[in-house]
Amino acid sequence: MARPGVRSRLLPRALVAWGTLSATCPWLPAASPTDALDSFERHVRPVLVERCWRCHAGDAAEGGLRLDSRAALLAGGASGPALVPGDPAASAIIRAVRHGEAPRMPPDGRLPAGEVAALEAWVAAGAVMPEGPLGGDASVAPPRPWAPTPTQQRWWAFQPIADPAPPEVATSWPQDDLDRFVWAGLAAQGLGPAPEADRSVWLRRVTFDLTGLPPTPAEIDAFLADDSAAAWATVVDRLLATPAHGERFARHWLDVVRYADYHDGDPAARNAVCEPLEAWRYRDWVVKAFQEDLPFDRFITHQICGDLLQAPDGGAVHPDGLVATTFLVNGAWDRGDADKEKLVSDMVDDQIDTVGKAFLGLTLGCARCHDHKFDPVSQADYYGLAGIFYSTRMLAELGTKGGEITLQRRPLVAPAVAERIERQRALVTHLEATLAALDRGGAPAADPERLALESERDALLAAAPAEPPRALAVSEGGVPGGLFPGIQDVPIHVRGSYAKLGPTVPRRMPVFLAGADQPPIGTGSGRRELAAWLTAPTNPLTPRVIVNRVWQWHFGRGLVPTASNFGLLSEPPTHPALLDWLASRFVADGWSLEKLHRRIVLSATYRQSGRATAAARAVDPDNRLLGRYDARRLEAEALRDAMLAVAGTLDRTAGGPAVAAMTVPRRSLYVQTARWDRATFATLFDAANPDAVVERRDVSTVAPQALFLLNNPFMEGVAGALAARLARDVPDGSSDATPRRIEHTWRLLFGRMPRPEEIALAGELVAAGGDDGWHDLAHVLLTANEFAHVD
Amino acid sequence: MSTERCQRGEAVALPRRALLSRVGGGFGLLALGDLLGRSATAAALPGLPHHPPRARRVIFLYMPGGPSHVDLLDPKPRLAVDAGKPLPFEKPRLERTRTGNLLPSPWRFARHGQSGIEVSELLPGLAGQIDRVCVIRSMVADNINHTGAALQLCTGEQAFSRPSVGSWLTYGLGTENESLPGFVVVCPKPVFQGAQLWSSSFLPSAHQGTLIRDPDAPIADLGDPSADRGRQRARLEALARLNELHRRDRPAHPDLEARIASFETAFRMQAEAPEAFDLAAETAATHRLYGTDDEATRLFGRQCLLARRLVERGVRFVQLFSAPVNNFWDQHGNLQRDLPGRCRAVDRPIAALLADLAARGLLDDTLVVWGGEFGRTPTAEGTDGREHHPFGFTMWMAGGGVRGGTVHGATDEFGWHAVEKRVHLHDLHATMLHLMGIDHERLTYRHGGRDYRLTDVHGQVVTEVLA
Repeated sequence: MARPGVRSRLLPRALVAWGTLSATCPWLPAASPTDALDSFERHVRPVLVERCWRCHAGDAAEGGLRLDSRAALLAGGASGPALVPGDPAASAIIRAVRHGEAPRMPPDGRLPAGEVAALEAWVAAGAVMPEGPLGGDASVAPPRPWAPTPTQQRWWAFQPIADPAPPEVATSWPQDDLDRFVWAGLAAQGLGPAPEADRSVWLRRVTFDLTGLPPTPAEIDAFLADDSAAAWATVVDRLLATPAHGERFARHWLDVVRYADYHDGDPAARNAVCEPLEAWRYRDWVVKAFQEDLPFDRFITHQICGDLLQAPDGGAVHPDGLVATTFLVNGAWDRGDADKEKLVSDMVDDQIDTVGKAFLGLTLGCARCHDHKFDPVSQADYYGLAGIFYSTRMLAELGTKGGEITLQRRPLVAPAVAERIERQRALVTHLEATLAALDRGGAPAADPERLALESERDALLAAAPAEPPRALAVSEGGVPGGLFPGIQDVPIHVRGSYAKLGPTVPRRMPVFLAGADQPPIGTGSGRRELAAWLTAPTNPLTPRVIVNRVWQWHFGRGLVPTASNFGLLSEPPTHPALLDWLASRFVADGWSLEKLHRRIVLSATYRQSGRATAAARAVDPDNRLLGRYDARRLEAEALRDAMLAVAGTLDRTAGGPAVAAMTVPRRSLYVQTARWDRATFATLFDAANPDAVVERRDVSTVAPQALFLLNNPFMEGVAGALAARLARDVPDGSSDATPRRIEHTWRLLFGRMPRPEEIALAGELVAAGGDDGWHDLAHVLLTANEFAHVD
Repeated sequence: MSTERCQRGEAVALPRRALLSRVGGGFGLLALGDLLGRSATAAALPGLPHHPPRARRVIFLYMPGGPSHVDLLDPKPRLAVDAGKPLPFEKPRLERTRTGNLLPSPWRFARHGQSGIEVSELLPGLAGQIDRVCVIRSMVADNINHTGAALQLCTGEQAFSRPSVGSWLTYGLGTENESLPGFVVVCPKPVFQGAQLWSSSFLPSAHQGTLIRDPDAPIADLGDPSADRGRQRARLEALARLNELHRRDRPAHPDLEARIASFETAFRMQAEAPEAFDLAAETAATHRLYGTDDEATRLFGRQCLLARRLVERGVRFVQLFSAPVNNFWDQHGNLQRDLPGRCRAVDRPIAALLADLAARGLLDDTLVVWGGEFGRTPTAEGTDGREHHPFGFTMWMAGGGVRGGTVHGATDEFGWHAVEKRVHLHDLHATMLHLMGIDHERLTYRHGGRDYRLTDVHGQVVTEVLA
């Protein structure tokens, strides 16, 4: 096996060199005519199209000088031939763009140095270019030939998923077939797995892992007392069935889909039309989906085109389907204050980027302005997908310049019900207007007409909600008033700008990945077809990507470390056969995440301790071979939830709009994430950035975290509640109350019994603190390394 | 002022375990922290700086909304000559951003200082300091909306989340004072895109800007300064002993040691940070200089004074937002009514900052940068307003390594396009890094399979502005 780290040390330098090159000298003399033509297409044509053709193309060209065919360039204009192949100094176009002498072109400023260099290099190398007219219409860039490179064609992630047999290994170690792959990888390096973790360590690990909460002393006792072979499975089944499990994995998923509850952190300042006020319904749907083990292919389909799915009860409205499409519209966009068209193109870009990274592990967004630099995705592929999203309506109204967009909200009840509610609401409004008129007319409070109206209004208000429940949901057809208001194919945006449109691309999936012979997308936006392609059993990316994410959620690092990028810049899998085997099992198991969780956390690999021999650490310092379980820091949410749980104050109310204050003792999932307010507890402790797809969280260690834990009033509150709970659970009165209470504390917080020196230390602290002794101990233990880590 | 400013990161190799094992024997936590030296965030990356820096710290005076270059620092007599006429060439095709005819500046410009640089009458304070300033009149940017443009100004990228300039600098160079955050943002009111403008994005979150809304209540959770620290110290010593027992079974886990060290640093910050933020420690004369005694200049005066105290104590990057309200500099209308007040709010404080930094010898190695996310159209929006304008606008730099008393670049005679020596925001970023001793092409971070840098694949150092 290659030494870990070698690739990551070499590759960056190569890439930096690439970056440097492209910034200063993007065009190099090419090796073959095909390459030279390709270089022209990549580096020279865009400059001509964008910088020159506004004035110098077509019959009405400025000064009669046309730069839109080789013949025209050679013929030139008043200052001689525009192009002399091989001689930049004699070529008027080069002299002009150098800006040294008149005429200086373009007149409004010198081109970026890289573009000038590209033109110079092209002329110097003989000015290879296609014969015949380059494009005719000055505003249109013709399609460019695109083909995948051999490296792209051979790339592992684009190959069909294999179904390898687990290696035969001569050991009783495996608990699951996945362990055979791990064992074989270790054995190949002369290594073996770490010893099994203590049962209490495993229990704390798996409980945090599956629910985001610590095990209770009763749960510890039950597991330690269960000497059956099924003890581990009993625990896992219990944990998977708790509501906390859905909440835990919902938070993982929300990291992937750049979820936020709001933009503005201040409830009073929120603008109702453009704030994602109903986003919480999506969060609650994700919780439910994971809790009920909605098959992952259907989970994807709901999010892409849930609005088009048949309701399970055959009704006219499919509430879960509508809610799931909030996925598409809860992004961090520019607000488009001056330019709403740009905003819409950014929304489409966000959708392509998020779908690509979340489901396919591909940075599709990189093909917005040009063909993807590394992966087999052309700019035309991008606009094939863009057509699908441009044909999808996510805004009720585009808004006017300087104003706000209005997100589209769709009622979650049948149209008839919604209409009835609307009618009742209109009636209430009417009644209130009449009452106001009576007021103005000076009608007395006891006026019989007034009383009748009031009772009618009150009855209406009592009978029905003021408004039907609504979700941020998409529908078919583009944004009215925008450039692409209906269902339509869209043109390539030259360099990503809607103001420079090229040829139109039919709505379709990327050609290399989905094939060249795709059936045309008919009457709809194409989201159905997109969902079908993403979830096709033959799609090599989708199952691998989700299986790898789940692995990362359990072990801290994926088999592919770059969980949202499986393209040519990804780090290759440490265990390719295991990844494929898991992906095959996952599809065969009906895309069940629960079965996958169960398989992983019941494995011998997962059951290892963190204790590794010096030899193992020397051979495999980064634990790429999975020969131990690496300890992990609790995430922001798990840390806060664990504090509230051990203090006995955690409010387990589920769902609904997010609460603003982190002092409200709900689970952290229900404390608001606001895009414009990052000065929060969650951000301080490395919660996901809601502006982007987050493939893996940071683990930072900074003094402000310690300041929070030492001094924030929240900590005083939790420590006080914990001290009070300890006194309740183990009351004073008996001679051994103090050591027993210390034991209880350790079991509650750390899932184990204290050691003698710990009992002594705790006793000293309690005694020194007087009346505050237990409060002091509680505070200290909540800030301890052991509390914040899972072994 | 901290005496430890320049002691950076040396003592980490001490036998930590031996020291920690003696904690129970009465080693005080403070002494422990000093002996063990600094945590990882304090140190510069290996190999940095790439070359001797001209500046060691930056103050970025950001004017959100887009101040009007043709009314402040880029005089255009031609606008008066052609007042009310259309721009004589085609404006960029923007679907919803249309402006009318040429609108001359209602304000007079005059030459100032030895350099004779022309400055508007709205900025008399800056005019008095103009010989320290390099005015760049040929700025260009790529985005016409506030949010995307502000993002590009602060992070180099218009749409996606990327690390901000301050994050890159603290990531690359570390901090000179571990008792204070290395990157401080003072932003009185929420602005569009808010935290993304000082986000560390994919860089380690320790490099995110520390936001201060109210200079009177700067850093959270420093505790009650009047409280007896004895009890807390007892707790912390117990914590250190518990953590050491825990760590003993878990060798080769640097994260645990880092977390132990962070509590030591926090304890020190509690003692030292309040002093850094205590503006009352300044003399009455200094307060008068910054205008904190005048309601019009009080807010930005306090921001500037705080910036000086912070850079004096080794904070690497201070970003001040001129934002008593969002989009303070966004005069789509009421230009004549509003722009003078905006200028008044910042002009005296900025002049004071430059003079004060110079008087204290700090300006030599402190880079001061001023500007908005774009300028404003030379053409009228309505009758008395100007639209967003990224095609040619003005920023200025002063201090560490910058050639003062100069003008770099020019817009055309209408103030529309930058035509001479165009400086893109990427070039500005490359130049800022260069002054701080960093080659912008070599400060990279690997994320999601790719190496990123502040300037992406762009940027050229503007050597002509270097002293």
